[in-house]
Amino acid sequence: MATTREHTAVLVEDKKMPPWYLKDLPRYLAGFAVLTVIYMGLRIYQGAFAVSTGLDSTEPVFEIYWMRLFYIELVLDVLIASGFWGYLWFSRDKNLDTLEPKEEIRRYFTLTMWISIYTFAVYWAGSYFAEQDNSWHQVAIRDTPFTANHIIEFYFNFPLYIILGGCAWLYARTRLPLYAKGISLPLTLAVFGPFMILVSVGFNEWGHTFWFREEFFAAPIHWGFVIGVWFALGVGGILLQGTTRMIELLDEIEDAP
Amino acid sequence: MSANLSTQTFKPYTGEKARISRAYDYLILVLALFLFIGSFHLHFALTVGDWDFWVDWKDRQWWPLVTPLMGITFPAAVQAVLWGKFRLPLGATLCVAALSIGTWIARIFAYHYWNYFPINMVLPSTMLPSALVLDAILMLSNSLTITAIFGGSMFALLFYPANWPIFAMFHVPVEAGNGQLTLADLFGFQYIRTGMPEYLRIIERGTLRTYGQIATPLSAFCSALLCTLMYTLWWYIGKWFATTRYLSNI
Repeated sequence: MATTREHTAVLVEDKKMPPWYLKDLPRYLAGFAVLTVIYMGLRIYQGAFAVSTGLDSTEPVFEIYWMRLFYIELVLDVLIASGFWGYLWFSRDKNLDTLEPKEEIRRYFTLTMWISIYTFAVYWAGSYFAEQDNSWHQVAIRDTPFTANHIIEFYFNFPLYIILGGCAWLYARTRLPLYAKGISLPLTLAVFGPFMILVSVGFNEWGHTFWFREEFFAAPIHWGFVIGVWFALGVGGILLQGTTRMIELLDEIEDAP
Repeated sequence: MSANLSTQTFKPYTGEKARISRAYDYLILVLALFLFIGSFHLHFALTVGDWDFWVDWKDRQWWPLVTPLMGITFPAAVQAVLWGKFRLPLGATLCVAALSIGTWIARIFAYHYWNYFPINMVLPSTMLPSALVLDAILMLSNSLTITAIFGGSMFALLFYPANWPIFAMFHVPVEAGNGQLTLADLFGFQYIRTGMPEYLRIIERGTLRTYGQIATPLSAFCSALLCTLMYTLWWYIGKWFATTRYLSNI
């Protein structure tokens, strides 16, 4: 069969495109890139200004460099949450009964990408910036709940992973038939449990303010955070639900080379 | 819908279906990596925490007791799913490798580069040999009971010998301020920690230290006993969290 130049170009173009089940791969990778830039940017900001302006909360310069950042974060938290959650809710699929198996498979891939982005945010909040909290509070005299690391960890990182976890939950609930018919217990545990880590900030700050100024990390004052993060193990159940359904769906589609 | 995949038989996928299956595996791999770095590290930092952060907390009594005891939790829970449902004998190694990645990144960029603690002062301990043995025992025995008893014990008993080559040099005696102390102690006194003063340091308390060099094996065997129980408990916690139930409302 003769192939025209235009035809060849289209074929080459198709080769570069991700397959149908990975349609959201570019957005997924872009999500990783954006989050990496944000988190590294915040860490560079801390490195540049924490020692020079973040050690004494009574200094006017603290208000400029740190409390302003705190207020900006609060606004961003509200904007990001309402933007993402609003979009996912208002663009929901109202005809899930007629969903084709191929489209459902694609959506399972996209759900897994949402959960993956969520766990990436959990990494920065639960691993890097959490341990950094201990490090910073060894060199700074803690004279405010809004320390140079708390402002980023508690009021940006924690809300952001909660927002992204909520996105995964909403995506499943609004676009996948099984999750729309019933509420997935493991997905709910994996999203709402770590949400309780944010709530534990209240107990943490109360304790550190009134009776425990030191930063003894393994102390019971921090165990509210620990119990919250155990619920991330619910991801095992999500994978079992997803894998079982994917097997059923793969049986429903035609074999292709 | 049943999620007991191990009782079903499958013919291998070919063509596009094989590629779909493999792409899904890769996505889950990325997801699992960040999940376990984030969640296991937070659990570990807030339960073992200071014994792992600071070289002068790595004593003969509490460090070999607390670290395996809290470190066997997530590996047991993840093994319950990865082995029980997917026949993947790597749950413990995955968790511990993820933890190592998270702790090393934090110690270098959060402690050393931001706040100038010497990296030798904040070296993380390793549980990789313990995790490898735990996975191997589960794979070979396919038994919760045998893994809990022998795997759990080995997880604890291997901890101190695995870390000794890394940390032995900080336990040599030095003389400072007319007193004898370890090099690790000296680190602690030289680099002031405002949030973790000396009176909070929990090392070598009580009468156990009077047994001299026997203190460490005693702690390790105590940890081994507790790890067998902790392993079983967390196996069931992992199973419970890996539920496939759907609810009508929350």
